[in-house]
Amino acid sequence: MSAFAFALRSLVRQPARALLGIAGVAAVGALLFDMLLLSNGLVISMERMLSTTGYDLRAAIGTAPPGRGPLIEHAGAIATRLRTLPEVARVTPLRLSDGLVVHTARPFAVRVMGAEPGSVGAWTVLEGRDVRASGEVLVNQHVLELLDARVGGPLELRTSAPGVRTVTPPFRVQIVGVADFPFESERGSTVGLSLEDVDRVSGGGGAQSADQLLIATAQGTTPAAAKAAVERAVPTLTAMTNAQVLVRLQEGGLSYFRQISFVLTTVTIGFAFLLVTVLLTVSVNQRTGEIAALRALGFSRRRAIADVFAEAVLIVGSGAVLALPVGLALSRLLDWILKGIPGIPASLHFFVFQPRALLIHGLLFAFTAVAAALYPMRLVATLPIAATLRREVVS
Amino acid sequence: MRRARLWVMASAVTLAVSGGGVDAAEPAPGVLISRQLAEAKALSPGSQIRLAPGGDGQSAQTFRVLGIYEPTPDPMEISESKFKVRLHLPDMARLVSGPADLMAAETVDQVNLVLRDPRQASTIATQLMTGTPGIVARQARAAVSGAGTFVVIERFHLAIAIVTIIASALFLLALSVMLVDERRDTVGVLRLIGLTTRRVLAQIFLESLVVAVGGAVFGIGLAAASQFAINRYFQWHYNTALVFVRVTPGVVAVCLAIAIPLGVVASAAASWSLLRKQLMTLARR
Amino acid sequence: MSVIEARDLTRVFPMPAGPVTAVRGVSLAVDPGDFVALCGPSGCGKSTLLHLLGVVDTPSSGTLTVDGEDVATLGDVARSRIRLRKIGFVFQRFFLLPMLTAAENIELPMAEAGVSKSERAHRVHELLEYVELSKRADHRPSQLSGGEMQRIAIARALANRPRLLLADEPTGELDQTTGQHIAELLDRVNADGTALVIVTHDAVFARRARRILTMRDGVLVSEERVR
Repeated sequence: MSAFAFALRSLVRQPARALLGIAGVAAVGALLFDMLLLSNGLVISMERMLSTTGYDLRAAIGTAPPGRGPLIEHAGAIATRLRTLPEVARVTPLRLSDGLVVHTARPFAVRVMGAEPGSVGAWTVLEGRDVRASGEVLVNQHVLELLDARVGGPLELRTSAPGVRTVTPPFRVQIVGVADFPFESERGSTVGLSLEDVDRVSGGGGAQSADQLLIATAQGTTPAAAKAAVERAVPTLTAMTNAQVLVRLQEGGLSYFRQISFVLTTVTIGFAFLLVTVLLTVSVNQRTGEIAALRALGFSRRRAIADVFAEAVLIVGSGAVLALPVGLALSRLLDWILKGIPGIPASLHFFVFQPRALLIHGLLFAFTAVAAALYPMRLVATLPIAATLRREVVS
Repeated sequence: MRRARLWVMASAVTLAVSGGGVDAAEPAPGVLISRQLAEAKALSPGSQIRLAPGGDGQSAQTFRVLGIYEPTPDPMEISESKFKVRLHLPDMARLVSGPADLMAAETVDQVNLVLRDPRQASTIATQLMTGTPGIVARQARAAVSGAGTFVVIERFHLAIAIVTIIASALFLLALSVMLVDERRDTVGVLRLIGLTTRRVLAQIFLESLVVAVGGAVFGIGLAAASQFAINRYFQWHYNTALVFVRVTPGVVAVCLAIAIPLGVVASAAASWSLLRKQLMTLARR
Repeated sequence: MSVIEARDLTRVFPMPAGPVTAVRGVSLAVDPGDFVALCGPSGCGKSTLLHLLGVVDTPSSGTLTVDGEDVATLGDVARSRIRLRKIGFVFQRFFLLPMLTAAENIELPMAEAGVSKSERAHRVHELLEYVELSKRADHRPSQLSGGEMQRIAIARALANRPRLLLADEPTGELDQTTGQHIAELLDRVNADGTALVIVTHDAVFARRARRILTMRDGVLVSEERVR
């Protein structure tokens, strides 16, 4: 009878204990799997979102997040200049602001996005047409629902951005279409205007100012080369590649999730280790007589150790496998909870499945099985046969 | 209009720290700087810095560091720059707006109000918004966009805590089943000499209560001891005075309320199967 | 050649209160087909001597040969192999594995010795008939009586056709009638050619042996030839 068949019989012999042990490992395993999905999930999801816009560089003054840094004045002219660079394929100036739709009974806040008419990637028109001139606005489906309006209807906007004089009168525009905006949150409200109109809403005189320039690299050029070219051409600009943006996010806003993922991964592994070690140790202690008898009958020390190890592998292995579907279901729930954070884009996910996570999950549990079996294996290895048999008779 | 946001030129080139070069007859206006900025740029009271309203460094003005302050810890700004400067309102208005802007001195981002009766906040906000065109008045709590974030994070922690408790319960139950099984002989003997099931159960209950209380107290002690290390690590990591972990009486109460009944129930559930067995089945082994 | 030959065996146990000598300078030989009963008061060293003879314990001094092979210098694997193939063990408390059936318990040492599956099945069948428990093949130990468990334990000990069977108080946990049946079974085992060394307190059972060795304070004090 192989060590695994033997271990399986041992587990079946005590079904309640075995099932509880496996369920315990599965519960901590599910959490561990989720933490592995979380550790890189947000970065992978963000990377996918960034790449779907079709731009691989973001240029701004300084390195503040979009909408938080100083404005790029004369963004239109700068964009035109950058378009002449051989490393650059496309440039879209973008401006973000906070606004308030005021012509309804209950004013509501909106995210105001400004781009040059006809810009690729700034938004996707779903209904109606794109903004072509001043006084036109695109809204997302949610704004349309809130307004209970139709394409062609009016909309009055006022800024709610800090630092803007609120004596500015509301800005009246006409809804020309419904659009899908990138990085839109689940029930977020966004409107799209021309760059000049965003400036007017913000109390300005209609300047072409932008927060950032989205830049697509020309074919055959690397984002790093385009970044260097952009910064050479306009020294006040700091360009960041998508990879740099991700690194920054990892070090900044996303670091909390990496930290909690690391802490919980460590805790869950420790917990699984303790659980399996205790289960096996008690199991071995309860069977010392049997083990000593088997050794007396000619079972080698190696075989006796293999039996304990096989038991550890069966408990941890079954728990780890069971942890995968449980973990996937749990990750959906946790993702849904975290997506309740205000302003989180609808297409962003905190828990993203990656084969790498599955591999690490397997490796960590393999390590846990070995580590957890070490002490009970040592107990078996050093079990004195004669003394144990004597003690069993006396007890 | 320029944004009323100050940009401290953080590079060594643009953040001019000097001991001279300023007209002694007209001393530079004073500012307070954050501890993090002072540490990073080796500034101290008396140092002079140049601040510009825009990223291009244009229209920079010289200021004198009067003191260093610890920024109010804000979880929403945990991963953001802690380089901050506090100016007198007129100095700031002069810096961000050109001299031609006559209204500059009267312009602020927001006005914070302390109400005599905070319960009236919502009503007063509505009155202000309807009575003064252009004013956006929000209740302070509602205005903090991060509040929602922390509610969600708290929910996330709660979900994780529930999974952890389920795993702990399974662990405890498995352990109890093993320990009770190990004491099968003792239970058999106790019942053979005439102790009732209730009496044996009471003994097991009492023992598990002692173990559960001991375990819970040990866990709370461990959490209390480790909170210092955790706080120190994260305060160092994020360079902030924010407190990350705090073992409050409420937390202790919740821990005890969960751990003790859990321990006792796990032990009782495991014992129950043993006590239901026939007496001779227990004694014969 | 003797199946087993011990010369001047001594076993000392280190204890907190000072070393205790459980077996002192014991020499004995067990020939093929021999039947030896080890008797003596509790704590005289009978079981310790049995463990030494069974290559389960290691002597503090003296030599022990099994089939002419000195076992003192052997490692764990070689000692395990000797126990597996040449020596059978029967315990007072049976030590059957509760998760295996009677047949599987008997099969276990053969599986460990690498015996083919068909041969194992044949041998299990043979041994169950030998101990008269063919109908109990699929029963687990918890479904067997004490006497039945000991019969299965004897069948397990005989699985690899050992030349020597060691039994430590094989009737110690059984009533008189059942104990007698076990004694008769062991008699049959010996009659079929397997050498037997038993430790027993039962004087009637001991009289079934060819030689009765009496121990006191770790020393062999007498040898009586019964048959």
